[in-house]
Amino acid sequence: MRRLVAFATALVLLPASTALAAELDDLLEESREASYSAEQVITCSTPDGVHDAVIELSQSSGELHVGAPVAPGVEVAAGSGGWTLVREGAVVSSANVEGTGDVPEPRYSVDEGTDTEYLGRNAIRYEMAGDGVVRAELVFDAEIGALLRVVTFNADGSVYCERRFITFDPEAPLPVDEENAEVIQSAEGGAQSDLPDTLGGFDRLDVYQDDAGFVFAYYSDGFFSFAVFQIPSVLVVDSGSPVTLGERVYTRSFSPGQVTFAWETMNGGMAMVGDLPPDMHEEVLAGLPAPEDPGLLRRLWRSLFG
Amino acid sequence: MTHPGELISAYLDGELSRAEIEQLLIHLDGCGRCAAEMQNMQVVRSAVRSLPLLELPARLVAEADADVVPLHRNRGFLVGAAAAVVALVIAIAAIVTPSAATVSLEELNSRYGARASLDPAFGPAKMVVPDLTELLE
Repeated sequence: MRRLVAFATALVLLPASTALAAELDDLLEESREASYSAEQVITCSTPDGVHDAVIELSQSSGELHVGAPVAPGVEVAAGSGGWTLVREGAVVSSANVEGTGDVPEPRYSVDEGTDTEYLGRNAIRYEMAGDGVVRAELVFDAEIGALLRVVTFNADGSVYCERRFITFDPEAPLPVDEENAEVIQSAEGGAQSDLPDTLGGFDRLDVYQDDAGFVFAYYSDGFFSFAVFQIPSVLVVDSGSPVTLGERVYTRSFSPGQVTFAWETMNGGMAMVGDLPPDMHEEVLAGLPAPEDPGLLRRLWRSLFG
Repeated sequence: MTHPGELISAYLDGELSRAEIEQLLIHLDGCGRCAAEMQNMQVVRSAVRSLPLLELPARLVAEADADVVPLHRNRGFLVGAAAAVVALVIAIAAIVTPSAATVSLEELNSRYGARASLDPAFGPAKMVVPDLTELLE
């Protein structure tokens, strides 16, 4: 009889937990499909200080366009595997990738959600947690599902980044300028790499190699993500500063919502770029080749012959 | 005293001490073989010294110059050229390294941003926004 009760309990609980894990994806998917324009404030509290920005964005059919009031003439367009930075009408940097379609194992789930109000609109607030630790607070518009506010947390509960809309107009998405969709770099997933399959709980989804000699892998845990780059030359991060993590010395640079680590190995430069909170950095980096000084001769050789 | 053949040669070269000379002369007085040997050696030496000095033919000197002297010049030239090439390589590398081997953050951002746009979580929570200070430069 006890076995029967346990089995029945499992049947009841299993679909419930699966539904919770899937619900985050559903919410994010619905958010991607929403069309609107908005102004967003990004504020990140990093070990190097506060990094913030005010951006203007519009989203339509999964494509996102971003500009900044302080940088007129500059626009970033992203979506469907493309990313383009345009300055004064000219493409400054662009990339286009094809994914393998792999998705990470669900690591986070959201609670049932609570009704709230945001910018005068009905909204639903969720807490996203993994391994019993709340990692994000998400506020979605109740009508069109747009993600209005996101707060990400470190493991100790302190705030890492807050992204919140300060204006929101679901009726007026900005026009999409297709003329600037020039592809400078392209890459296809499925390249070979010795980068690990998992790093600090993140799954490697794709590996790319492009014409410029970049090999990079994309890792995700279902919400946060980062890319690891193997570069045939040296990465210079002008705004970076040295930081020691686990007896390893890296050059680290924060920008609003993003962190970049750069270091050298015997085989070239490496970098990690992502939106993961600082408490995850050390574990991820520990799984990658350690910084090493390649020496003058090897530097010269690489600089001359790649 | 045994027959001092080596002392005779040394005596003719002026390398013996006074005591050795006296000893040698006493021996020569009583030894006809050594006296004859010393006389022969004196004749040979005189004959060699009397040979005239000859000038090398000009053609032979020219050929020697062509074969020997330029060889040293070539070696020096090669060493110098090799050093110059090494110096040039280092100079070029020193000049080229900061620019040619540099990868910008934008190049990483574009690739990460492109892949992130395929992520289910992509959106305003995940949009890769370049550092605005970088944009303003």
